[in-house]
Amino acid sequence: MRLPDRFWGVWCVWRRYFAVFVKSLPYYLVTTFLEPLLYLVSFGLGVGSLVGNVHTQGTELTYRSFIFSGVIAQTVLFQGFYEGAFGAFVRMYYQRIFQAIAITPITLTEVLWGELLWDASKATVAAEVVALIGVLTGDFPPAALLTLLPVAFLSSLLFSAMGLAAAAYSRSIDELSYPQYLLVFPMFLFCGVFYPIDALPGALQSVAWFFPLTSVNSLVRTLTLGLPFQIQSIAILSAWLLALVAVAQRSMVRRLVR
Amino acid sequence: MESRPLVPLRVVHLSKRYRLRSGGFVDAVSDISFDIPAGECFGLLGPNGAGKSTAIQCISGFYPATQGEVFINGHDVHLHPKRARRFLGVCSQEETLDSDFNVLDQLVRHATYFRIPTRVARARAGELLERFGLSDKVRDPVESLSGGLKRRLQVARALISDPRVLVLDEPTTGLDPDVRRMLWEVLAEARARGAAILLSTHYMEEAERICDRVAVLANGRILDIDSPQRLIATHIARTVVEEEVRPGVIWKRAPNLEDVYLKLTGSRLGVEGL
Repeated sequence: MRLPDRFWGVWCVWRRYFAVFVKSLPYYLVTTFLEPLLYLVSFGLGVGSLVGNVHTQGTELTYRSFIFSGVIAQTVLFQGFYEGAFGAFVRMYYQRIFQAIAITPITLTEVLWGELLWDASKATVAAEVVALIGVLTGDFPPAALLTLLPVAFLSSLLFSAMGLAAAAYSRSIDELSYPQYLLVFPMFLFCGVFYPIDALPGALQSVAWFFPLTSVNSLVRTLTLGLPFQIQSIAILSAWLLALVAVAQRSMVRRLVR
Repeated sequence: MESRPLVPLRVVHLSKRYRLRSGGFVDAVSDISFDIPAGECFGLLGPNGAGKSTAIQCISGFYPATQGEVFINGHDVHLHPKRARRFLGVCSQEETLDSDFNVLDQLVRHATYFRIPTRVARARAGELLERFGLSDKVRDPVESLSGGLKRRLQVARALISDPRVLVLDEPTTGLDPDVRRMLWEVLAEARARGAAILLSTHYMEEAERICDRVAVLANGRILDIDSPQRLIATHIARTVVEEEVRPGVIWKRAPNLEDVYLKLTGSRLGVEGL
């Protein structure tokens, strides 16, 4: 089957990234999968044995189950953002891969879609590996692996777009530390990865809900632990996703094309 | 409006205006027009900042034009970039090799962007690597190559799709004389296959030697276009030019393209009698 030109261009770029991934598999296995596994062991088994149970949204959970689902959201955040930010910055600024491909029959827009979809694919696989461990330990139902897939992928796309936009606005690779410390780490610490956000004071809860990771955590816990569905999470994620993909594409085109 | 299909590259009143950070504008390319027929090598000459690279970025369709049109094999590169670029091979001034792949895979991967089947791409890549003297580097990582070898590989990559239009932005800068000659031979072979070549270069001797016609560019405008011989005849009145090559040492020689370039772009650099 011959793909239409536009989709084929995106697919071709995605395949380029996949080929590099396969070629450097040992490196990517460590950088992609080891970090969430370390969080799982450290917080799930270590801290989890001290904390006991967690009460949130009228439900009682073991802390291990709670943190396992939080690590899924954290994986999506870190893997999506770092590949979109640091990975794309290297490819755009040092390797000039975007520029090299975008003077072939593949357009710059297709190159950027290929980049985003690859970043999101990689983060999704990492998140699914965490979910699989949760299933094997009995913390999640097996069906969660499937139901989680679209949420993990769209959330990964959101954070990849956030990273790509950050790369487009950064003059040097050092400047990527600004969004890393001002946006990613605060989300990691305050958006419900380690504790339910209802433990925060009321005003801070509202602030936490503004950031997309809270919604990701909410949806992931609905799908993996059966917590009540919070409808605002869909609206918040959709708004962030649409805005960030548009900003990432536009800002990177402006960065590269005069 | 579609161009006549027999002209591989047609540039029509192309202009490019940049917005400056300070708020103003700069006209990097102003109203340039030329055709390059099949089998012709066309040179773009000009000092740094003349607009050569910007013109090439617009011609490849990477930068949008402020005004004007560029047709590659009859397709408007800005309206139909995917169709137009199927016929285009570009070697940029900057190194844009994909360092995630080795020398051979570099070419094969690039060919996939043109929808060339892998089997065909491998055969073509093998031929090109042999032609460019890189056969013993097939499995080497790009990062291990010297600057000259990388440049050769980048030109080879531009040829992987057997383009009808080949655009080379200062391809011989930094190359040894023997490698430069080899590249000239490769360009001659591409011309013989009917490719139209657009070559930007700082080397006047190179332009005089391999270009059928040259355009002298300054401040984004084409000052004149013609064959090197006719440009010399038109712009240099004398048959002998005197040049002070060292303090107190005057050489007398026949006028060349460099004299035309210096005269048209307003430079003198010790050359008298233009």
